[in-house]
Amino acid sequence: SKNENDHEGIVCQLLPTIPCSKSNGPFTLKCSCESIGLQRTLCTSAVRRQETAASTTSSAKTSRDSSIFPPIIGEESSLRWGGKKFEELPIAHVKATYNNTHIQLTESTGQSMVRTSCGTEGFKNIKKSTPIAAQTAGISAAAKATAKGVKFVRVVVKGLGPGRLSAIKGLTMGGLEVISITDNTPVPHNGCRPRKARRT
Amino acid sequence: MSRHLRFIARTVMVQNGNVDEAYKILNRILTHDGVIDAVKRKRYYEKPCRERQRKNFENCRRIYHSEMARKITFISVTNREDPWLGC
Repeated sequence: SKNENDHEGIVCQLLPTIPCSKSNGPFTLKCSCESIGLQRTLCTSAVRRQETAASTTSSAKTSRDSSIFPPIIGEESSLRWGGKKFEELPIAHVKATYNNTHIQLTESTGQSMVRTSCGTEGFKNIKKSTPIAAQTAGISAAAKATAKGVKFVRVVVKGLGPGRLSAIKGLTMGGLEVISITDNTPVPHNGCRPRKARRT
Repeated sequence: MSRHLRFIARTVMVQNGNVDEAYKILNRILTHDGVIDAVKRKRYYEKPCRERQRKNFENCRRIYHSEMARKITFISVTNREDPWLGC
């Protein structure tokens, strides 16, 4: 439901749903270009897109795909996946470090169901820090999860490593259905001092 | 977020099974909010002198790019009203 105009090369596809400079809840979308000159063209394209969006949302409201944002855990949502509400679905924690990728599937309560990583798949040392290893870990985790009867899962990613995207892809390839992706990368507000800078 | 706004902040729903699309959207949101930059920077410690140099450099770069973009849009306008009209 992203309305892309073909006459603009401007990147931000979220413009139809979110106006240019409004802070919308947890997401504050700053305009991608801080330049004043380009901001003019950006905002006019936003206005044009909003007009076309207003005209096409009436036709595109068929399925429930008009929201990128997750259902808030108040009483409102009528979305169910396999009969379960959003907050009752199992969670797949993907910890993508720079040397390895761990995948752990837990219930919504927190109880662990399945735990795989690149190391448990038989990769060693440098081969663990590859996206392919993460994909195989994802496939095996999905296989074990479907054996336990899990269909829909929400993914929580932690860390910026090589296996960040391919682990999620592996989960989908293994048969699980990913319904939402969360990023839980720890960003300290200047807490612990990290190690010293490398000089290569 | 770990405990605050769990599954509200930094969360994107997958539409029509398009996991790649959803991941791209999430990445775009995170880069726009500066999260990915912050995480990459905090991997190794950045000394205060280096941090000041970097901030200075980014400020100058931002000013330069905005002025250049302004100049380009100004120059690329061709249909202007005649400034010497009536002389």
